[in-house]
Amino acid sequence: MLVAENLRKAYRRHAVQVPVINGLDLEVKTGEFLSIVGASGSGKSTLLHLLGTLDAPDSGRILLDGKRIDNLPNRDRDALRNRTFGYIFQFYHLLPELTTLDNVLMPAYIGHSVMGWWKTRSKWRARAMELLTRVGMGHRITHRPGQLSGGELQRAAVARALLMSPRVLLADEPTGNLDTATGDEIVRLLRELNRDDGVTIVMVTHNLEIVKATDRVLRMAGGVMTEDTTAKKPTFHAPLLAAV
Amino acid sequence: MYKLLLCVRYLQTRYLAFICIVSVMLGVATLIVVNAVMSGFSTKLKDRLHGVLSDVIIDTDRMDGFDLQDVNGKSLTPDQIIQKIKDSPAGPKIEAITPTIEVFAILQFNFRGQMLTKPVRLIGIDPEGRASVGGFKEYLVRQKDGSAPPSFELTPEALKQHEHNRRQRERASALEVPNVPMPKALVPDPNAIPEPDEKAMTQDMPVAKPHGVIPGFTLAHFRFRDDKGVVVEEAALKPGDDVTIFTVGGLPGAEGARMRPVWGTFLVADYLKTEMSEYDQSFVYVSLEQLQQLRTMEGRCTAFQIKLKNYETDKVVVADALREIFDPRTGARVATWEEHQGSLLAAIEVEKSILNLLLFMIVGVAGFSILAIFTMIVSEKYRDIGILKSLGASNHGVMSIFVGYGFLLGTVGCCLGTAMGLWITDHINEIEMFLTKVTGKAVFPRDVYYFKDIPTNIEVSSVVLVNVGAIAIATLFSLLPAWRASRLHPVRALRFE
Repeated sequence: MLVAENLRKAYRRHAVQVPVINGLDLEVKTGEFLSIVGASGSGKSTLLHLLGTLDAPDSGRILLDGKRIDNLPNRDRDALRNRTFGYIFQFYHLLPELTTLDNVLMPAYIGHSVMGWWKTRSKWRARAMELLTRVGMGHRITHRPGQLSGGELQRAAVARALLMSPRVLLADEPTGNLDTATGDEIVRLLRELNRDDGVTIVMVTHNLEIVKATDRVLRMAGGVMTEDTTAKKPTFHAPLLAAV
Repeated sequence: MYKLLLCVRYLQTRYLAFICIVSVMLGVATLIVVNAVMSGFSTKLKDRLHGVLSDVIIDTDRMDGFDLQDVNGKSLTPDQIIQKIKDSPAGPKIEAITPTIEVFAILQFNFRGQMLTKPVRLIGIDPEGRASVGGFKEYLVRQKDGSAPPSFELTPEALKQHEHNRRQRERASALEVPNVPMPKALVPDPNAIPEPDEKAMTQDMPVAKPHGVIPGFTLAHFRFRDDKGVVVEEAALKPGDDVTIFTVGGLPGAEGARMRPVWGTFLVADYLKTEMSEYDQSFVYVSLEQLQQLRTMEGRCTAFQIKLKNYETDKVVVADALREIFDPRTGARVATWEEHQGSLLAAIEVEKSILNLLLFMIVGVAGFSILAIFTMIVSEKYRDIGILKSLGASNHGVMSIFVGYGFLLGTVGCCLGTAMGLWITDHINEIEMFLTKVTGKAVFPRDVYYFKDIPTNIEVSSVVLVNVGAIAIATLFSLLPAWRASRLHPVRALRFE
């Protein structure tokens, strides 16, 4: 479903070039819960940004369902990030000025004009409420991020990532900032979403404990994949989350 | 949708934005107040400048007046010239027209035993005709409220004052001992013709009508501050007091060049109070007929005052038509009242424009504060920008958030500034009095300006212009930070600490 071929990416600072991804190949299968582990600086997060079109590779290709997406015009890449990919970050990245509900609704706000939003607002609100209830945040919709705990913030971030029914969920160290119990809870939630809704998940982490819950584990070092360990075979390939 | 939502939320939650709003608000309020006061001054000044001037004025540099001739080479009288004007294409657009004589003169009068002289502008008018072209009766202190047409008639009180003055003068002259040798007593000649009996001779003759004069109010009054610092006006010339007017006269035609001094005595009948110091301290009105006799220019005049039916639409057409009749090469001049006061009106406009330009810099400063504060806000919002981009927001969308934010700040600042500016304009006199009380120094010395209150005039177009300008500046100055925000790389923004 999501394929990276011979990806290369380097960051430049003045005259110094720091290679991060060095000819990486990857294939993510539909409905798979994939985890990528590796030491800090191994290029995990950069790979996630490249896969999710947040950044562009220096060379190589990224294909989604056989179509190249890394060289798409900005407008199409924006649309992909809005509808096809869902992001979960280590630091939650909720907008502090908005309530939990508005944060969850943000992808829908971005995807609609004022008139478009006005016409479909009740449908989107119902969808956001459903997701918030599902992640156990139905009672905190009017709270702002500053009033929520780390676990609650991450659950709200998961609800936001799922709002537009994305085909791929990209999670960048979703438990990195949480205690073990809360981290396990988030991973359980992701596992559940993968199993019940068939959402493809690519999770980057350096927590070797939580990768046990994933279908496949890839190890990254020096900007390339060094190991591919199938923790267990995918057990469930439910149809993709129905489009809203 | 997210642009609108975030604009509003940022406005509600970012206290830095409050500074921008206050900057815009103060700039807009100042501009509205200054414009209203300037416009008030300008409008009032225009009213007063127009006040004693009719819509169109035709005058001549010739001392002996207009010298228009008919086909037979005979000089036309003012009535014939008026008829000629009425028959011209300008005629149907004219409501009223009156002839006048305007000449420089010296006014002399006795005040507490001293003879005072003042240079004046002597104007001979037909009072009713002058009133018909506007800007006369409403400025006469005694006659403005009366229903009777204006005149140079003296009131019974003024006549009493005149009689009182006369007796005083006689008494004073009787007390003087003439320094001449007494004539020798002669034995009366029985054949001599008896001395005429003056009383019997003048018994049935009509009494000469006194010549009335209407001097400017300031000309006839002294203005000074008393011991308490209060401005006091004391009449130097009371109704009924006599004044002597010296001017030049001459014979019409070629001999008109031979000028000679002429003078006449007049009695004060009323005062002219236009509240324009230039007019009030130099204008002296006398009867046209009497001035014609005094200057030996019967049947002639030096100016025509014209009132138009619709000044704004007809002024150009009428002036052009009149220029066809009055050849400028003969010294005649046709001008609207605005052309007459052109330099002064232009000075007011230039002053207003310069002041506006300078004051708009205040809004410019507010714009720079928006630029600085927005740059700070954008720096604070780096991570939010990254989040929005990761959720699919476009560069253009991110830019729109901050441009919209600037527009919103400008709009809120303008609304508050407009409300504040209108309130200050409405209460400007109370504020001035309060400031005068607090500082102990008159902020608006009324005796300097001749206005009872600070004049204000709120022009809707000016308020709209100030608002549009301020909003445009606020939006314009938010463009650069907004552009910077839109160019931000999402990954770098997300990693921003």
